[in-house]
Amino acid sequence: MSSRLIEILTSSFFKILIPGIKITIPLTVLSFAVSLVLGLLLALVQVAELRFIKDIARFYIWIFRGTPLIVQLFIIFFGLPSLGITLEAFPSAVMAFGMNLGAYNAEVFRAAILAIPKGQMEAAYMIGLNYPMTMMRVVLPQSFPIAFPSLFNNLIGLLKDTSLASSITVIELFTTAQQIAARTYEPFALYCEAALIYLIFSTALTWLQDWIERKLKWKSGGSEDAGNQRTA
Amino acid sequence: MLEIKGLHKSFANTGVLKGIDFRVDKGEVVAVIGQSGSGKTTLLRCMSFLERADSGYMIFDNCSCDMTAVSKKEIRELRMHMGFVFQSFNLFSNMTVFQNVMEGLVTARGMDKEKARKKATEVLEKVGMINRAEFYPGELSGGQQQRVAIARSIAPDPEIILFDEPTSALDPELTGEVLDVMKTLAKEGTTMVVVTHEMGFAKEVASRVVFMENGTVVEEGTAGEIFSAPKNERTRQFLSIS
Repeated sequence: MSSRLIEILTSSFFKILIPGIKITIPLTVLSFAVSLVLGLLLALVQVAELRFIKDIARFYIWIFRGTPLIVQLFIIFFGLPSLGITLEAFPSAVMAFGMNLGAYNAEVFRAAILAIPKGQMEAAYMIGLNYPMTMMRVVLPQSFPIAFPSLFNNLIGLLKDTSLASSITVIELFTTAQQIAARTYEPFALYCEAALIYLIFSTALTWLQDWIERKLKWKSGGSEDAGNQRTA
Repeated sequence: MLEIKGLHKSFANTGVLKGIDFRVDKGEVVAVIGQSGSGKTTLLRCMSFLERADSGYMIFDNCSCDMTAVSKKEIRELRMHMGFVFQSFNLFSNMTVFQNVMEGLVTARGMDKEKARKKATEVLEKVGMINRAEFYPGELSGGQQQRVAIARSIAPDPEIILFDEPTSALDPELTGEVLDVMKTLAKEGTTMVVVTHEMGFAKEVASRVVFMENGTVVEEGTAGEIFSAPKNERTRQFLSIS
């Protein structure tokens, strides 16, 4: 490897990493937060069998799962201004990613809620809980550990998909790598470097997932280990 | 205490309950026996509105009502005065034993936490599970889980407790501890309806035995009448096999 290339790679590493930390990560976290709230609401109105609202939820999911993410980004950032709604690039990206992933997370939450045995709800009703109490106290707390791995899967997917925001002028990790590649004529090295930084981020997320899953397991009890410790 | 008249229920055009008249008086222990598929469990589930009856009339608590027309709110009100013990325990797996017992008191009835704690301690002592109060259901044996489930159902002092085959999911060596708890409750004058295959229990504890077949009550009487001198041919056959 030539010394010039090494020089470019080392000096660009932090130039790419910093927008990664300042833009890519906040973009991921905010979009994911939006998708969780939206996904949970969309799941709840479906399992509650609220007739008309349920249809709206199904329609929403149909649209947002059925069209490409980049098209949704373009509609929000380039298209909405012609309807009189103009958003900055960053909030447009949060909106597009959040609404898109919300449709996917809705299905994750719905599946996790349906996975709870019917007897749990029946027992809750028989001690006098109403439907909202039953969901809040019994069903959702048990659904969350089931939903967790899939939600985290989607989070890691989202982290990488935020690179699409480069196409609507958000200066994030990938945009920066593109700019440096154009300036130095070293696309191979710089895109590999960008990939490496994404990999570092997603590895950190994988560790976070393992750590949280251990916590969840401990909290819900019932593992062989916990049982043995307690009876010993 | 509780009375049901003309209860009908069918699933997908198959009649499961074909006109049941049923009553329980205060302090009675009624054992409902019969083959699998005779409609015993469905009877209990209709009484607690876990299944909606196709027709029938119910008198319980302050309600004398058409079972098909009761609103969700009225159902919840009725259930506040009913306990239900499930075959598969159905303890809340996200809560400890203590939390399971307190849930109906604190969340459903808005009872003060300290008061609920006292009440939970009392009922857990009664079923002999106070030393497992901080355990999760997954850490307990089936018999222990069912005893906690009984504690959970009696904690709000219901007027009647419905038991749906409470020992059918247990190993034979674990049924005894659950039946013992139920005997204690019966001695204290708790009003109970017990759907069961435990003929020994029915014989010993029940003040009245109801034999069901094909969605109808074929015969009912005191334990003595049913077990030593059944009048109906079908009752005789059933008791000789089981």
